[in-house]
Amino acid sequence: MSNSTHHPAPMSPVEQRVAALEALLTERGLVPEGFIGQITRRYESEIGPMNGARVVARAWLDPRYKQRLLADGTAAIAELGFGGPEGDHMVAVENTPIVHNVIVCTLCSCYPWPVLGLPPAWYKDPPYRARMVREPRALLAEMGCPLPEEVEIRVWDSSAEVRYLVLPQRPPAAEGMTEAELTALVTRDSMIGVARL
Amino acid sequence: MTTPLSLSGLDLPRRNGELAFDAPWQSTVFALAAAVIAHAFGGDREPFRQQLIKAIAAEPGRPYWESWTAALEALVPTLPERPAP
Repeated sequence: MSNSTHHPAPMSPVEQRVAALEALLTERGLVPEGFIGQITRRYESEIGPMNGARVVARAWLDPRYKQRLLADGTAAIAELGFGGPEGDHMVAVENTPIVHNVIVCTLCSCYPWPVLGLPPAWYKDPPYRARMVREPRALLAEMGCPLPEEVEIRVWDSSAEVRYLVLPQRPPAAEGMTEAELTALVTRDSMIGVARL
Repeated sequence: MTTPLSLSGLDLPRRNGELAFDAPWQSTVFALAAAVIAHAFGGDREPFRQQLIKAIAAEPGRPYWESWTAALEALVPTLPERPAP
């Protein structure tokens, strides 16, 4: 953006619709001052996969925490200070040498926001939403995550009621690492289940 | 979690991995839905989610945040008369 004398670009139709919504909802008293900036900043910088990575690293290091996480995801995740909207019923599903979990939302874009942030673009696209249910093994291979035939794939369809988080397998090379080092190993895609570590 | 880690080649999953919003109107419409959910429906996301499901089903190829906009537009006429206190 510049503060020169250029005329601002004309608003696109969708920008006009959003501006109209903003005006209407503000007039109805539903949008407190500063609310939009506050929400945007939170989701762009404070909430994201680094939160989920901390949950995973803790579970790898502390068997009792892992037990609590698998028994009651919401409560165990709240222990680390994460929760709130879109995360009020979290279920952690554990990958093992013979089971691989992957999450999808077939109807819209439900996603465990407090631990993963906003969903990536492909998660919201029709091909992912349809194919992950129909042919998960083929799609995972295309996404760079080929799985041996003997590994069972479990696809979890997220909903408004339940959000899933995949607990990836700890990589063998991660032996002896600190919690901070482990946290750095965990990727967003591994917690969606479209990658292995 | 601001300690720098010296694990070369490993990216901290600090961000969403890609831009969450490609344009300001997208973050605005995202926040507007959050405002409606919090202040008109007392935190109940289901009314908005149902509209989003319908909007996506109506035009599966439409860009995601445009469906989000359509969902919010469809929700407006159903808003409770007064915002929740």
